[in-house]
Amino acid sequence: MAISKAQGKFVETEIDDEVVLMDLESGNFFSLAGTSLAVWQAIDGERSEDEIAALLADEYDQPLERILSDVTDFLGELRDAGLVNG
Amino acid sequence: MSPEQSLSLLKTESRVRIGRVPEGIAGLPVLPGHSRLIGNEYLLRPDETLSFHYARGHGITVERLDGADPVQEHLWLNGSVYAAMAAINGFLPVHASAVAHGGGAIAFTGQAGAGKSTLIAALGQRGFPMFCDDTLVLDISEPDGITAMPGHKRLKLTPEAIALTAADREEPVGAGTGKFYARPSTGDWQTPLPFTALIFLEESPDVSIRHIAGAERFARLQDDHYTATLFALAGSLSPEDHFRLRARLAQSIPMLAFSRPRDEARFAEGVDRMAQALREGLVRTAPAG
Repeated sequence: MAISKAQGKFVETEIDDEVVLMDLESGNFFSLAGTSLAVWQAIDGERSEDEIAALLADEYDQPLERILSDVTDFLGELRDAGLVNG
Repeated sequence: MSPEQSLSLLKTESRVRIGRVPEGIAGLPVLPGHSRLIGNEYLLRPDETLSFHYARGHGITVERLDGADPVQEHLWLNGSVYAAMAAINGFLPVHASAVAHGGGAIAFTGQAGAGKSTLIAALGQRGFPMFCDDTLVLDISEPDGITAMPGHKRLKLTPEAIALTAADREEPVGAGTGKFYARPSTGDWQTPLPFTALIFLEESPDVSIRHIAGAERFARLQDDHYTATLFALAGSLSPEDHFRLRARLAQSIPMLAFSRPRDEARFAEGVDRMAQALREGLVRTAPAG
């Protein structure tokens, strides 16, 4: 299933090599850097969780199983916060 | 609006007259000990004897009853009332003191008691003109740059700080502050300048200056000072507007953390290090995000 950002639910800004998100409903902030930022940037509304993990495994030259676990955890957090769909 | 027009507007709007002040605004009463900002109006009643009213286009009105303390009047006028006036006119008041250097305003911020005024006075002693003390007013109306407006010419320092910085001591501030008005030894700056750096004052066993990068720049702008509250009220800022303003500041203003021991014996060491950093262009060459 494709993962997409919940447009309209958040605002984001890039500062240096990091991204700050604010959940417009709760007012909570999320700071994204490193892997979490790479996951966020890989969410394009077309890629699935597995495809995002494969992309990052290739980019970071890491075993897919390990990356998949991180991606799953982080997407879970984003889903819980209502910032992504799918 | 040009920087000169902004300065002129601030001067016009901060004119003060003595007169009757309403007991409420927009049909809502304001009791002694309270304040209210609605639309283009601000009403502050610190106690039973003093009231301040600002209305855009009409300046500031002060009402003094018997027993009003002139020292308190001065403090309120130059603190909350000035910040509210600035905010209603679209300026962003920030809790900071600043010096002029290298064609820009370099601001120092920190909690009350962090040593902002003392540092400004000590930098004055080393040739950096004072730009403002305690409240820095920013013109954010132009998309391509943030301009700092000069103001608040008089420093408020403790006797110890005056001794440390060789500032000229004037009359007491009063109101139990233990502080005195003081004149910085290198004078002050009179014209608007680009806002070029924001430096956070911290305490640590050793003197250090470091650039702040990434999301920390955004997080550092979390401001619970009354100036931020006034600006949010005046602009009716939505959470999204507020986020975008913070993002703009975080992206465009270099930020540094200046750590030093709060020890009188090592005070000069910290100030000398900061003065050297400013002269070497450390602040101007900081990553702008």
